[in-house]
Amino acid sequence: MKNSTSATQRGFSLVVVAIAALALVGCAPAAPEPVTPTATDVWIKAVPELMDGMAMTGVFMTLENPTEADIELVGAKNTTEGLTETAMEIHEVVKGDDGEMKMQMVEGGIVIPAKESVTLKPGGYHVMYWDLLKPIPVGSHVTLTLEFSNGTTLDVDAVARDISTYAG
Amino acid sequence: MTHTPAEAQAETEVTRRGFLASAGVVSSYVAAGVAGFAGGAVTASAVSASSLCTQSQLRAQEQAATIPFFGDYQAGIMTPLQAYGTYMAFNLKSSTGIDQARSMMQLLTDDAARLAVGKPTLPDGDPYLATEPARLTSTFGFGPGFFSKLGLAGKMPVGFGELPAFSIDKLQPEYSGGDLVIHVGADNPLTVAHAARQLTRTANTFATPLWSQTGFNRPQYGEPTDQTGRNLFGQVDGTVNPRSAQEFDAQVWASSGPRWFHDGTCLVIRRIQMDFAGWDKLDDTKKEASMGRRLSNGAPLTGTSEFDKPDLEAKNAHGLSVIPAFAHVRRANTGKDTEKFLRRPLNYEDGLLPSGEPNAGLIFAAYMADIQKQFVPVQQRLADLDLLNTWITPIGSAVFALPPGARRGGYIGEGLLG
Repeated sequence: MKNSTSATQRGFSLVVVAIAALALVGCAPAAPEPVTPTATDVWIKAVPELMDGMAMTGVFMTLENPTEADIELVGAKNTTEGLTETAMEIHEVVKGDDGEMKMQMVEGGIVIPAKESVTLKPGGYHVMYWDLLKPIPVGSHVTLTLEFSNGTTLDVDAVARDISTYAG
Repeated sequence: MTHTPAEAQAETEVTRRGFLASAGVVSSYVAAGVAGFAGGAVTASAVSASSLCTQSQLRAQEQAATIPFFGDYQAGIMTPLQAYGTYMAFNLKSSTGIDQARSMMQLLTDDAARLAVGKPTLPDGDPYLATEPARLTSTFGFGPGFFSKLGLAGKMPVGFGELPAFSIDKLQPEYSGGDLVIHVGADNPLTVAHAARQLTRTANTFATPLWSQTGFNRPQYGEPTDQTGRNLFGQVDGTVNPRSAQEFDAQVWASSGPRWFHDGTCLVIRRIQMDFAGWDKLDDTKKEASMGRRLSNGAPLTGTSEFDKPDLEAKNAHGLSVIPAFAHVRRANTGKDTEKFLRRPLNYEDGLLPSGEPNAGLIFAAYMADIQKQFVPVQQRLADLDLLNTWITPIGSAVFALPPGARRGGYIGEGLLG
């Protein structure tokens, strides 16, 4: 009985969606549906143990923009339970006035040029985790949602890896 | 008859390929479905390539050649021997349980699959070193300690375990044992070094490095492919290896015992130090008598070509055996099909011994379905009597069980750890 009810509800919902879709088509020329960039090779620098002042890490990936217009990665939200309560930031590493390399937020987000890709990697662009509440061991996974300038979002899974080849 | 240079080139290539195809070694490797050998056939024509342009294109092809990582069997076993290789052993950390071991094999699989197609690993800080795979293979195996430390002793393959002590052994701990082995092979030494370092990073999280042995062989390209490689004593080594898929099935791939190990195989690694001062004092007749084969082409002393079957009954004019009782070939030879296996050796030369002699020899790597049945009887006969023992000393020894290959989306060792 319960099954048939839900099936009926689902059928009803489908009809509503179909009508809504028809309505959208009817509204042409509307703005085309925004396209979500793709993310591949998503990984996060492992944090085997939380040490004072070191409870942070970066997420890296390759983002590809298949559209004819630039899209920016403007934000990210952690979706891994209990990992952090601090907002994530989009960062770059640049040379400061004093000649030292420093990390800073990217004004306007990371640009993924039209029909091109951009790679976030150590020493360059990254998505920053602050104030970790638990370690991220090598081989474990964290999930987060990427936010783009065209209003689209993308859920990604990052595998934790070590950077140094002889960390011991 | 007039040929354009291009036509002449094409004809030469066809002729050479026809020749190669008729040679037993090549055709059987092709029959065995060994991907990547096409690279070898193509490069053989480099010998006849007249223009520099063609030669450089062929070299680029050699460097770009890939061996598929995913498949029924692990790569790097049936794969025709690459010119360079490294075997690395690790011991599991006490903090590594079965969950961590699974994680390690998943990450190693991901690393190896990327490197095999010329891509860097995810955390690769030197990605440009990954761009020339040159038939790169990465192969993984588990030592006896892997099973005991993870509580998997009941899942050990049949016939797998430590070798008995042999009287000739002078084993050194720095070349012996290990819970995990990683074998990397490629036709480019820089590729091997880079892949080894990438895989080591991953292993180091879960295990401690124990030893690493690097070696080399004659490159396959630009050489006659119908002759087996040579060791540093100049001996042709590997003549009786399995070559057809049927022979690999019979000798190398496990088909009984625990289900997870089917299509896997066992690996025995022995580091054999060579005494060059002693060997150099021998004349060719003595060298050939100790082996039972000719130095020139590896033919048995009773035959004319490498792949002739040694005639152990043959006598000379004095009524003595042509292949002496102490000859390596006679001692290693077995009438039994159950005592055959694959050898995939590497030569090593690591600087000097304290005496000033070269620290050099052979990284003997043998692959078989069952160590006890196939390998131990042969090694026992060689330990009991083999004139070659006069100039060679086993100084390292290790055994590993190599799981079958992985499917895309799976990982090496999944049947055991999944």
